[in-house]
Amino acid sequence: MKLLTRSTYYYFVFSILVLFFAGVGLYYTIRSIVYRQIDESLITEKTIIQDQIEETDTIPDFSASFGHQIEVQLLPYRLRYSQSIRDTDIFDSGTEKFLAFRHIRFTGSTPKYTGYVINIYQLNNESSSLLDSIGLGMFFLLVALFLILIALNYLISRNIWKPFYKTLSEARSFDVLDNNRLDLPDTNIDEFRQMNDVLEEMTRKIKKDYVHLKEYNENLSHEIQTPLAVIRSKLDILIQNRKLNKESINLIKSINEASIRLFRLNQALLLMSRIENLQFAETRKISLRELVEKILMNYEEIMQLKKIKVETEFADKAMVNMNEDLADVMISNLLGNAIRHNIDGGFIRCRLDDRSLTITNSGLPLKAHPEKLFNRFQKGSDHPDGIGLGLSIVKNIADHYRMGISFSSSGTVHEIKLDYGDDAFRLI
Amino acid sequence: MKLLIVEDERSLSRAICEYLKVEGHICEEAHNYHEAIKKTADNTYNCLVLDLGLPDGSGLDIIRELKKNKAADRVLILSARSSLEDKITGLKIGADDYLSKPFHMAELSARINSVCRRDNFNGFNELSFNEIKIRTDAQEVLINDKLLNLTRKEYDLLVFFMINKDRVITKESIVEHLWGDNVILTDSFDFIYTHVKNLRKKLLSYNCGNYIKVIYGFGYKFSEP
Repeated sequence: MKLLTRSTYYYFVFSILVLFFAGVGLYYTIRSIVYRQIDESLITEKTIIQDQIEETDTIPDFSASFGHQIEVQLLPYRLRYSQSIRDTDIFDSGTEKFLAFRHIRFTGSTPKYTGYVINIYQLNNESSSLLDSIGLGMFFLLVALFLILIALNYLISRNIWKPFYKTLSEARSFDVLDNNRLDLPDTNIDEFRQMNDVLEEMTRKIKKDYVHLKEYNENLSHEIQTPLAVIRSKLDILIQNRKLNKESINLIKSINEASIRLFRLNQALLLMSRIENLQFAETRKISLRELVEKILMNYEEIMQLKKIKVETEFADKAMVNMNEDLADVMISNLLGNAIRHNIDGGFIRCRLDDRSLTITNSGLPLKAHPEKLFNRFQKGSDHPDGIGLGLSIVKNIADHYRMGISFSSSGTVHEIKLDYGDDAFRLI
Repeated sequence: MKLLIVEDERSLSRAICEYLKVEGHICEEAHNYHEAIKKTADNTYNCLVLDLGLPDGSGLDIIRELKKNKAADRVLILSARSSLEDKITGLKIGADDYLSKPFHMAELSARINSVCRRDNFNGFNELSFNEIKIRTDAQEVLINDKLLNLTRKEYDLLVFFMINKDRVITKESIVEHLWGDNVILTDSFDFIYTHVKNLRKKLLSYNCGNYIKVIYGFGYKFSEP
């Protein structure tokens, strides 16, 4: 729910409550004013009648004289003076409705009349029509308020909230790899300005930290190279020694294996950090067909030994605009994987068309989740020497060139599809 | 051959010298930019093995200096800073090859050999060991002057062995040499075994001596039986 919708909702509910109580209050106030007027006119009339009775000692015939309805009742006993004012509903046979009356009743006695009771009625229909008109007024007020709120809502969201939405869309498109600063709108609203300042400061810090981290990663990988080179060179010299016994040979062997693993890890991480640091800017048109054929040729003997049958289907001379080294690493990794995870006597199918390269290979059923295969350090099999970075590198390169890469697997047949259909990177 | 190793990591430059000396090369060391400039000015080397990141200057400047003086020294760049620009710049301004750290000694040796073979004089384009003769320019292998047909990889393997004769060569360095280090082919060690077996069979069928020895735990050694 939008903030504005929610606040409008609260305004509206609150307005209904206020209008309701205001209506009730208004009703009672106006009613009491009306009553006072009616009562005053009744009392005036009563006084006139009383005066008349006292002066003339007769009770006049009221039936035609006044606008009010007056009832006179004579009683055979003496009554002391008393007076009361009340509401009375009287059934009107003409309209078949109860009509609201205000009526004053007073009693007294004169020498001539032992006791009399006089009731003066005045029709009081203002009261109920008042209620109607107040209710109606309130309703119209509510409708008007509602319409005004909607209009206001629209205007506010268009004007006052505009910088907020602009900031929001800027923040949404924030990319840590992007060099551009956030383009936050100028605003004279304090809250928005503060938010913009905070966002700006935050993104600046994120970018700075990210750059530091990248530099750190790359420097670290570089720095590790030299000690690794020392280890490797010393090992190369050590193994030349003819006097090694079997025990030392086994020790050296495992040191060697570990150093190779370390080297490969470092090499892969370095490559990825270099891709992320955009150090492969130089691109050229590369024929994927030639590249695939070259790499397949490089592995020809290995595939022969594993008795892997290779089928190729080059439907199109697809050219991609890529860095040569990265293209080589990517295709080598993909084909290398297809060979490594293959079975003896298996197959590899390479299909190249104008939109995608599909590599299908036989193999053992997958152990890891296909979605996770592209994650770093995720191994798809129990291969002890795999470092779990091969596909992650491929993914990195594909992302770098905005190519799509997907993996699917059905039992013992695995398929990787590289989608370079995007026109921006395909030039023929 | 006379070589100059320019490398600030002393233990590494010592190891390189130690390894290459056994092959009969004369090895000298320089540990910084100024030392290297001085040595190259005073002497002529067949090949410079050059680290780019030196404490008091860039290895690239040493290459520029050499080329300015029209020195004939071959240059092999050796760098931990395996950044592409360095590689491209290095090769552009006159370096002959590029090897990134860490590397196998056998590989370094093969690269030095291949770089120096480009100087077409004093028979560097011919490798020989007893009855085996390799003409590297034509990529031909002759056993007792009879032409031997080898596959591309077998040829590369034999050259690699001959350059590193009398040395223990690890299977890993063979894999890297033959297939490059782009791809990690973990089970490729079995293929090395098959390759070596095939090569040995072909050599033996030409009445060549059995020079390839299996070294337990590490790999192979090409030497007199």
